Amino acid sequence: MRTFTAKRAFVTFGLLPSIIIYTVFVIVPVFWSAYYGFFDWKGIGEARFMGFGNFTEALGDDIFWLSLKNNLIVVVASVFGQVPIALLLALLLRKGTWFQRFVRASVFMPMVLSSVVIGIIWSTIYHPQIGLLNGLLDMVGLGEWKKAWLSDPAIAMWMIAIPIIWNFIGPYLIMFLAALSSIPSEMDDAAAMDGASGTRKLISVTLPMIWDTIKVTIVLCISGSLKAFDLIYVMTNGGPAHATELLASYMYNSTFNVFRYGYGSAVSTLIIIISLILIAGSQLLMRRRNQT
Amino acid sequence: MTTATRRHRSVRVKQHGVPRWKQYLRNTVLGVYALLTLYPLFWMYMSAFKTNAEFYASPFSLPTSWNWDNFVRAWEVSGMGKAALNSLWVTFLALVLTLLLGALTAYILSRFTFRGKRLLTGMLLLGMLIPVHSTLVPLFIMMNKIGLLDTHAALVLPYTAFELPIAVFIVLAYLTNIPKEMEEAALVDGSGYTGIFTRIILPVTLPALSTVAILGFLRFWNDFAFALVFINDPNLKTLPLSLSVFATGYSTDFRLTMAALAMASLPTIIVYLMFQEQVMKGMAAGAVKG
Repeated sequence: MRTFTAKRAFVTFGLLPSIIIYTVFVIVPVFWSAYYGFFDWKGIGEARFMGFGNFTEALGDDIFWLSLKNNLIVVVASVFGQVPIALLLALLLRKGTWFQRFVRASVFMPMVLSSVVIGIIWSTIYHPQIGLLNGLLDMVGLGEWKKAWLSDPAIAMWMIAIPIIWNFIGPYLIMFLAALSSIPSEMDDAAAMDGASGTRKLISVTLPMIWDTIKVTIVLCISGSLKAFDLIYVMTNGGPAHATELLASYMYNSTFNVFRYGYGSAVSTLIIIISLILIAGSQLLMRRRNQT
Repeated sequence: MTTATRRHRSVRVKQHGVPRWKQYLRNTVLGVYALLTLYPLFWMYMSAFKTNAEFYASPFSLPTSWNWDNFVRAWEVSGMGKAALNSLWVTFLALVLTLLLGALTAYILSRFTFRGKRLLTGMLLLGMLIPVHSTLVPLFIMMNKIGLLDTHAALVLPYTAFELPIAVFIVLAYLTNIPKEMEEAALVDGSGYTGIFTRIILPVTLPALSTVAILGFLRFWNDFAFALVFINDPNLKTLPLSLSVFATGYSTDFRLTMAALAMASLPTIIVYLMFQEQVMKGMAAGAVKG
C-alpha cells in the first residue's frame, strides 16, 4: 500500500512540471490565439468582441493570399529542389568512405548555422553592388544579366528559395541514406540476376523500396515552408511590396508593427488550420496511394 | 575462409562495380558540390579577415593579410560580449530544464502505468505538429499579462516547452531497450523512485541525453523568432538578435559584419565538428517527428 502511494506521488509530482510548462507554453497558446482572433485588441485597453471579423478580413486580404502563394512557392522549390538533390546525393554517397563522409558532412553544415547568419550571408551574395553573384556574372562576361536580385518582385521569392534549399538538404540526405541502407542486399542481387542495372534498377527496385521515405520528405517540405520566417525577416522582411511575404511574416508584420493583436491571433489560427489541412491532405493522398 | 570471402567480394565488385573513370567523375562532381555548399561559409570567414578596400576590390580572393583585429573591433562595436553571455546563460538554463524534465518524463512514461498516459503521449506528439511561429502572438499576449516580457524566462520556458517532446521521445526510445533489472534490484534494496531516477536512470541514459543536449544547444543558441518577439531590452538580447542589426543595412562595414557572424557561428560549428554523427542523425530524426 505504501509503495502504491509512493508510486502515485512520484508519478504525479514527477510529471507536474513538464505538464505545466508544456501546457502553458505550447497547448494553451493555440486555443488562446483562436479565442483572441474574435477580438479587436490593440494590446492595451479593452478587447472588443467582433465575431468572425478578423477572419473574414484576413481571408479578404490580397496580401494574405499572396503570402499563401509564396508559401506554396517555397513548397514547390523544396519538393523539386531539396528532395531530388538529396536523393541523388544519397545514391552517390552510400559507401561511407572518408571522402563520402566529408561530402555528407559538408552538405549538412548549413543546418547548424543560425538563420540570421544564413540570411545575412545570402543577402550579401545577392547584393546589387558588392554581391558575389553579380561579381561572378561580371567575371564570366555576363554582366548584362546582373540584377538587384532581392528587389525585383518577379524573382525575389525564387531567389530566397535558393538559400532555403541550400539550408535544408542535409536532413533529407540523412533520411534517404538511412532508407537506402535498409534495403536488403538480396534485392540488389536479385535485380542483378534479372539483368537490371543502372537507371532501370533505380526505377523498378530502389525507388519503390524508399517510396515511404520520399513521401515523408514531401510532408516535411510542406510543414517546413511554414517555418521559413527568420530568413525572410532578415533578408527582405517580406518586401519589395510584399513580394516575399510568407504567412508567418504576414502574421508578424500585421501584429507587431501595427499592434493588432486580435488580427494577428486570427492569422495565427489560420496558419495552424492551413498547416493541419496540408498535413492531413498529404497523409490522405498517401493512404490512397498505399491502398491501390 | 577470409581469402574465400575476399575473392567472392572482389568478384562481386567486378560484377556490379562501376568503371574507374565513372568513379572519378562521380567523386569530382561530389567534391565540387561539397565545396560549393561550403563556399558561402568559407567566404564569410575569408571576408572577415580582409580590409574593407580588399573586400570590395577582390571579393573572391584570399585575404592578403590576416587582420585579426577585425574580430576585436567587431566584438566591441556590436556589443557581442554581452549578447554572447546572454546566449550562454539562456541556452544553459533551457538545457538543464530540458534534460531534467525530458529524462524524468521519459522515465515515468516508460516504467509506470497511470491514467492519462496515452493522452500525455498524444499531446506531446500533437505539439510537434504545431508551427512554432503561430504561437508567437498568443505567447506575446500571455507573457505581457504575466510580466515575463523582457526577461530571460520568456525565452527559457518556451524553449524548454517546445524541445520537451523531442527530448522525451529520444530518451523514451533509449529506455525501452534498457532492461529493468537494475531498477527492480534498487527498489528491493529500499531505494525510492527519486533515487532510482538520479542514481540509475540519469547515468544510464547519458548517451541519449547527450544527443538531446547537442540538439537543444543548436536550437537554443540559434533561435531568432522568440528572441525577436519577447526581448526588447538591449541588455538582454541574445546573439542572433544582436546580429540581426547588421541585416538592416545600417552597417556598411561588411568585413566587421562578417567577423561578427563568423564569431557567433563558431560555437555551433565546433559542436557540429565534434559530434557530427549525433547531430545529423538527431536532427533528421527530429525533423521526421517534428
